[in-house]
Amino acid sequence: MPEPLSRRHLLARGTAAGFFVVAGECLWLTPQEAEARVFEPQILSPQQCKALSMLGDALVPGAAAAGLSAYIDLQLQAGDESLLIGKYLGVDTSAQTGFYRAAADNVMSLADESISMHTFATSMATDAVSGWAGPPASYVLFVLRADALDVTYGTPEGFEKLGIPYMAQIKPDKPW
Amino acid sequence: MVSKDCDVIIVGAGAAGLTLAARLAEGGKSVSVLEAGPERKLGDLISSQIWARKLKWSEPAVSESGDHKIGHAFNAGTGTGGSALHHYGVWLRMHEGDFSLNSDHGLGLDWPLSYADLAPYYDQVQAEVGLSGDSKQERWRPQGAPYPMPPMPLFAQSRVLAKGFEKMGRHTAPLPLAINSEPYKGRQACHYDGWCDSGCSIGALGNPLAVWLPRAQTAGARIEHNARVSRVIRDPQSPQRIECVEYIQGGESRSMYAEHIIVAAFTVQSVRILLSSATERYAAPGNHSDKLGRYLMTHPAGTVFGLFDQEMFPHQGVTAGQLLNHDDYDKKDAPGGFGSSQWMIGHAIKPHDLLGYGTNRPDIFGAELEPWLKKASRHLGNMTLVCEDIPLPENRITLSDRADSDGIAHAHAHHDLGPSAAARCAQRMSEGAEIMRAAGASEVWSGPRIGQHHMGGAVMGSDPAESVTDAFGRVHDTDNLYVSGPALFPSSGAVNPTFTLTALASRQADHILAIK
Repeated sequence: MPEPLSRRHLLARGTAAGFFVVAGECLWLTPQEAEARVFEPQILSPQQCKALSMLGDALVPGAAAAGLSAYIDLQLQAGDESLLIGKYLGVDTSAQTGFYRAAADNVMSLADESISMHTFATSMATDAVSGWAGPPASYVLFVLRADALDVTYGTPEGFEKLGIPYMAQIKPDKPW
Repeated sequence: MVSKDCDVIIVGAGAAGLTLAARLAEGGKSVSVLEAGPERKLGDLISSQIWARKLKWSEPAVSESGDHKIGHAFNAGTGTGGSALHHYGVWLRMHEGDFSLNSDHGLGLDWPLSYADLAPYYDQVQAEVGLSGDSKQERWRPQGAPYPMPPMPLFAQSRVLAKGFEKMGRHTAPLPLAINSEPYKGRQACHYDGWCDSGCSIGALGNPLAVWLPRAQTAGARIEHNARVSRVIRDPQSPQRIECVEYIQGGESRSMYAEHIIVAAFTVQSVRILLSSATERYAAPGNHSDKLGRYLMTHPAGTVFGLFDQEMFPHQGVTAGQLLNHDDYDKKDAPGGFGSSQWMIGHAIKPHDLLGYGTNRPDIFGAELEPWLKKASRHLGNMTLVCEDIPLPENRITLSDRADSDGIAHAHAHHDLGPSAAARCAQRMSEGAEIMRAAGASEVWSGPRIGQHHMGGAVMGSDPAESVTDAFGRVHDTDNLYVSGPALFPSSGAVNPTFTLTALASRQADHILAIK
């Protein structure tokens, strides 16, 4: 039978995920912890991380706090070992960094403060963002939404939020 | 004469490769298996859709083109167990008519064998692996031995969806699965936790690590991991014989010699290895009539979702689903398109990942999302259509102009879906939405059409001018080179291929063991 998850249980599992640079120091943190401590990304720029977090959070509220940008940056560091959803879409891991940088740069340059990120995302869904360059906006939206769902709901903690018993055969000792 | 390292080299430690390794080693052959990916054990199979991505294709990307791409990275696997390590365990027999597509309908290709030739191997393999199901209730099933285990229990989702089929005058039966509904041959019964896609670590699902690997190793088969095969090499004195396999391991180029060589590296990579084996003097093995790589197939498939008022608890059960409908399977030439089709009904499903329900509703986001996910996690129903792909020579695997750092050429896969198969798929998806509404769904939507399973590329046939191998998978212009796995399929039917490719591998093993 499924084992009910508790907060204490989740904490007890330990969720160390990778090295993040925080205030010049290399620390072993979960992406959530890294996000909270303003990590220094190694692949993306801080501005690119912020743009991806904003868009991801507009799509899947809670994704930023769950460590979306730290997750993406960490997986991009992993190269061929990347677990990003792009792997399923046949995107060569060598092309993934360029994909996320382009996505973030588009958001930074085209998301106008006069419109909400929600409205911006709606325009992306129909490829109606004027001046968008690189991979189609609707495709970027699909990928980033999938990433945001992964970090927010693809873990035992995320299942718990939705009221779904995780029922692991082998529990992940870290989220990714 | 170069001395042999073993009797048989098998390239690829997936379903076909490890079936052959077990059967041939138990038959007294010395067997070495070369697997491109890392070693995997049941204890490595973490219950996480994110971690499960490690099991998928992780070697150089296969470039793709066409209007219905095969989705190589999602369907293929890397490491011990291959793609069968993350397969869902739907083990269905192809129907009699699947073996005579060209003779019956003037389309595609015929198999060089009939259902009757393969039936004894279906029976043998299902007893060895252990299938659960109800052969009597499965009214469409070709003749064969009853399943060795009773069917899985039905959970709420499938009980509700079955009523939709019933209201539409259709039938359902328990989905036959290579998953234990009760302890079988020392393996435990399913927990119904829906982690099949991450690899079943408890061994209830009959993946190669649970069934064939222990037998192969007990019988003495050796498995080399991280051994990426670049090509096979002809004997210069007797070019119809393949004398060795060349591979890269630990950064070094190595060779291994054997009496028989079997390439069982799944559809795309098996063809890639053969194509890479061409020399200035000789065409690639099996490509004497430019058929190698052609007739690449992938089942067009799609999922229909519905939201219900009653509780469905879609996290319960197994990823494959719980019920089957084959009412339309043998009506290949029914109006509206062409080809067989089947429904797999009531999948255990997660909120995220490529097939998750959160991913498949891009229109719901922001503040609306979490309440919707919470509702779906209790009230969602879903079922998947699988349709037949018609083999077309233009759909083919070729070598890319890119190569990795070891000089191994990448593969390219081109696949367009023929208009009659596309029409059939659209027709059945529309019918699926009606069934979902008949079951009581208040809201119905569909996921995209995707490519599911890979078949063809090194098709078997009676005529060497029209095929790559004979009926036992022996490459026509060689004495001792075999292909195994779904690359051999001359037609796709509309059933999941693992049962058929395993039965074919078992038949190949008998053939090779009988060679004096």
